[in-house]
Amino acid sequence: MTAIELRNLSKSFGPVKAVDDVSFAVEAGTVTGYLGPNGAGKTTTLRCLLGLVRADSGAALVNGRPYVELERPLSEVGAVLEATNFHPGRSARNHLRVMCTAAGLPVSRADEALEQVGLTDAADKRVAGFSLGMRQRLGLAAALLGHPKVFILDEPANGLDPAGIQWLRGFLRHLAHERGAAVLVSSHVLSEVEQTVDNVVIIAKGRLVHQGPLAELTAGREQRVRVRTADADKLAAALEDSGARVERAGNGVLWVHGLDQETVGRVALERQILISEIAQERSDLQRAFLELTGEPQADTPAMKGGAPR
Amino acid sequence: MIALVRAELQKLFTTRLWWAMLIAMLLYTGANVGLITAVAGVETAQGASGVPGRDTIHFQQLVWSLGVGATVFTMIVGIVMMTAEYRYQTVTGTFLVTPRRGRVVAAKLLAGVVVGVLYGLATLLLTAAVVIPAVMLSGGEVVLFGEGVPRIMLGVLAALTLYVLFGIGLGALIRNQVGAIIGGIVWVFLIEALLANLPPLQTVGKWTPGGAANSLINVRIDTGFGEADLLPAWAGAAVLIGYAVIFSLVASQTTVRRDIT
Repeated sequence: MTAIELRNLSKSFGPVKAVDDVSFAVEAGTVTGYLGPNGAGKTTTLRCLLGLVRADSGAALVNGRPYVELERPLSEVGAVLEATNFHPGRSARNHLRVMCTAAGLPVSRADEALEQVGLTDAADKRVAGFSLGMRQRLGLAAALLGHPKVFILDEPANGLDPAGIQWLRGFLRHLAHERGAAVLVSSHVLSEVEQTVDNVVIIAKGRLVHQGPLAELTAGREQRVRVRTADADKLAAALEDSGARVERAGNGVLWVHGLDQETVGRVALERQILISEIAQERSDLQRAFLELTGEPQADTPAMKGGAPR
Repeated sequence: MIALVRAELQKLFTTRLWWAMLIAMLLYTGANVGLITAVAGVETAQGASGVPGRDTIHFQQLVWSLGVGATVFTMIVGIVMMTAEYRYQTVTGTFLVTPRRGRVVAAKLLAGVVVGVLYGLATLLLTAAVVIPAVMLSGGEVVLFGEGVPRIMLGVLAALTLYVLFGIGLGALIRNQVGAIIGGIVWVFLIEALLANLPPLQTVGKWTPGGAANSLINVRIDTGFGEADLLPAWAGAAVLIGYAVIFSLVASQTTVRRDIT
């Protein structure tokens, strides 16, 4: 049975189509990244999936059933939404204990889950004094209470420090690949999840624009090489002679299409042109993502402070 | 459902509001009880006393009924029980644990009954601590199980409890905590107070929750405005139950279908 399944899900808020005919599935044992810019409809989709928002049409199913029909939802689905959903006057432990009571879980689960996310020392502190990162961890602890096999996380990396993000990545991979859970994790920053996810689903302005394995995102895309030299005109001419297409980004930086790093270096060597920097583009994934979602690209030449073209 | 009611009580008792509000309520009622006891039987300049002497049964009935003046405190507890969920967005987690929202509302209302009864018992204990020694010291006979005293005690319990439910319903309707509290206070101190105390308006006032509660504790004392126009006690009880049902419906209807974004 498919762990998470969306079929032609649509939801409007007034005239705004927040989610428009979105369909995808998440299988057990995999991590799926649900990506898109802010306001693309990610949160609305996840809230429909969790029965918090009523979809206009289509189906959102967890383990084959709508969330609101699950008998023991905490034992089937662990959800982490915004890190602000806590009463500031209640301690971390009491927050989890209330959930255990309502869900019919043993109260001991509260302390176990706190230990799992590394919050044992802060268990009796009131949430008002928690950092954003600690709140994210508390949210994750809440998701773990019922030992679910499906996880739905909305921007869980928000507010985590680099060590926390590293820890989260490992934790999500552990849940999916070792415990066989289905994990759906949303983010507006591809680089946050690209080391974690097996599959990506990309949404922009409410519509699904791409889904498939992460590797497919860059397949068939041309690579480009960034090279910096004091003599940009001469190098550009030389590279174009060798069959490359060259974009000038100003400040002596060239984007070279159609040649690999080694060839670009050899051309420079043959023409005796000094280069100070050469690199394969850092993240083609990010570029593919930005192109798919129609966002302006911060690293295109046109955006670089009025450089001559 | 018992688990959900326990969870709702746990929510209230793991934050600080419940005891702050309990202390505030007991201070308020304590001050009223103390004042009435102090001036009981004292003759005014005009030669008549507004409050019967401490050795009379009327004094005991009057003091036992004073707790009903603190309904505003239990109303605020009810309002906060509901609106804190929206103010701190904990409603998201609540509905994730219990996606059938009608059950959450029912659990809150049942927990509200428990809370109202606890506050009511605390009020009655405080009253007993004053009224029993005061009557004994002035040589009167303490009456607990006759002369309408049990009905008055039940009336205080019912009124304080009903206002928790009223608060929950109001909170579900308005959701904004400050707005709901202001609305509730305006209702209790302005609208209900006017309807209950101005004789021409009492034909309407007796049907309000406050008026119905007053019919339960009716001690038929003329405090200068003439005897209040009230429903019979049984009708007052029926009206209170009717309001409880209305508030419950309001609370669930406004909560069950709404998108939580």
